[in-house]
Amino acid sequence: MSRAAPGAGAVARRWPAGRAVGVGALIVLVVLAVLPLLGGTSNATLLTLTLMLTSIGVAINWNLTGGFTGYVDFGHAVWFGIGAYATAILISLQSNGPQVGWPPVPAILVGALVAGFLAAIIGRATMRLKGPYFSIAMLGTFVALREIVRVWSPLTGGGVGLTLPPYLNRMLFYYVELALVAALVVGTWWLRRTRFGAALMAIREDEVGAETRGIDTTLLKTAVFSFAGLSTGLFGALWAYQNTFVDPDIAFVEVRTIDAVMGTMLGGLGTVAGPVLGAAALYWVRELLWTHLLDAHLLAQGVLLIVIVLFVPRGLVGLVDRRGTSLFELWGWKGWRLEGRRLHRGPAAGGEAEAAS
Amino acid sequence: MTALLEARGVVKRFGGLTAVDGVDISVGAGEMVGLIGPNGSGKTTLFDCLSRVLDIDGGLIEFDGTDIGRHRPHDVARLGMSRTFQLIRVYRDLSVAENMHLSIQWGSLGVPQLFARTDAAARRRADELLDFLLLGRLRHERAGNLSGGQRRLLEIGMSLMSEPRLVLLDEATSGVNPTLAADIADRLRAVNSERQVAFLLVEHNVQFVADLCERVVVLDQGAVLAEGTPGEVTQDPAVIEAYFGDPGDDTAGDDRVGNSPAGAGDGTAP
Repeated sequence: MSRAAPGAGAVARRWPAGRAVGVGALIVLVVLAVLPLLGGTSNATLLTLTLMLTSIGVAINWNLTGGFTGYVDFGHAVWFGIGAYATAILISLQSNGPQVGWPPVPAILVGALVAGFLAAIIGRATMRLKGPYFSIAMLGTFVALREIVRVWSPLTGGGVGLTLPPYLNRMLFYYVELALVAALVVGTWWLRRTRFGAALMAIREDEVGAETRGIDTTLLKTAVFSFAGLSTGLFGALWAYQNTFVDPDIAFVEVRTIDAVMGTMLGGLGTVAGPVLGAAALYWVRELLWTHLLDAHLLAQGVLLIVIVLFVPRGLVGLVDRRGTSLFELWGWKGWRLEGRRLHRGPAAGGEAEAAS
Repeated sequence: MTALLEARGVVKRFGGLTAVDGVDISVGAGEMVGLIGPNGSGKTTLFDCLSRVLDIDGGLIEFDGTDIGRHRPHDVARLGMSRTFQLIRVYRDLSVAENMHLSIQWGSLGVPQLFARTDAAARRRADELLDFLLLGRLRHERAGNLSGGQRRLLEIGMSLMSEPRLVLLDEATSGVNPTLAADIADRLRAVNSERQVAFLLVEHNVQFVADLCERVVVLDQGAVLAEGTPGEVTQDPAVIEAYFGDPGDDTAGDDRVGNSPAGAGDGTAP
């Protein structure tokens, strides 16, 4: 009984720390909101910051299914691609005569809805699988949908892609994405405190136990998977409009999923702050590696992933708080479990192995 | 007594192995029924069938007159049947109170309640149950830090949190010291008499079952071997043979030790 539990009393005792985190987050938000208004912020800087916000947003969405619910999705970037393509198709619609494409706002919203709708259908099927089987099924879904987009050329333009009308108001996109990320952070923070959030963590820790306690696990995990797909689809739709061009190889990129997984693991799986901190840190690390270690940047990223998994399994947030989980536990690798901040193999102290069974 | 749970001819096969072979069992409202049998007799598999964790290959299961043979486990829980597990299933990274809050009656929640925090009534009920189960002072403790016996009590508390009409208790005293086992028996008896909650208990500790239950069902090799009062079944030659094996067989199994019907007098657990 060495440590206070994260119950209501413990939360009350940690309130000063929680308030400090909240104040810190608010300061960061204000700085990011004011930054473009200061002189000298170039369009290139705004684009870089917008892409960072996109990475953070996708990581937060990935964390909803991967971190909170325990379903490690290796194909999450597919929803980004679907959102991007649905929006691009609607905007660039053409009849025999003049262009009859949709205006941007409804096209972006419908693009996100298409991603969410497809996520609901595919999630309903793939979330019957567990552990690595689900991960591989989603990777397969990603590859399959990318190839469908590639061969369905009358609608998608095939390998040539689609060109959108240019609209390069970088500041507008920056503020829209900043607002989206802020809303996602607040939403995730609130979700974590609700019955819905608690039920997701119950699914992650023991799905059979959650079912026998009356939780409709299929409904809840499909709902959160669909929302994550919709939200990532929204980021994809915004990206397509900013990029003014989509083709299968830039809209459906495996690295987007890898970044979301790595960023969330670096920050802390199943935590609110984890994907934000991790995705932001990873984004700048990647920029640095790309700039200074062009030939070996992928190797360096691989080493970083190994270091995270082995030495900071609970991520940066896990260094100060033992909430969250690790890939070892999510995939149920036999015998491996977290004790405090360290990975251990074999039976746990106090008969925990029994509880974990 | 009206049957709250009625199972007839339940069959469960795993490949060529028939783990449950045409079992009939019933539990009346407010009744406490024991389910005993040697290791591998199919007790836990039958529990998994009754709670719908496993699909059945034959037979009929009714709960309060509703055929639940095709229900999913959460539907069964929402109808008023909860259960515990042989291997304890608590959420070890959550506090004791949070574990209890997760075991509410989910079926009664609308969307607004789903996206709200645990309400005062649920917190109060959890606190009452935790006090009742002697875990009140540990409500803010991380569940993974509890002892095995305390986690058993917590799991029983979680099974009672949704105000069920029937609780399936799987090995409630396994790994629990005799003093705590006696406490558990007291608590179960009180819940049964005060709240009219029915129990179906799988136990190796025959004395525990004999003390609590008016009726005992004995399973052997997936089928019902005997049924009756604790006194009747512990004296049944077929039951004694199932536990002890053939008296002439020197290789009779481990069930000789501690958990036989004849051991009902000493109350020892395996």
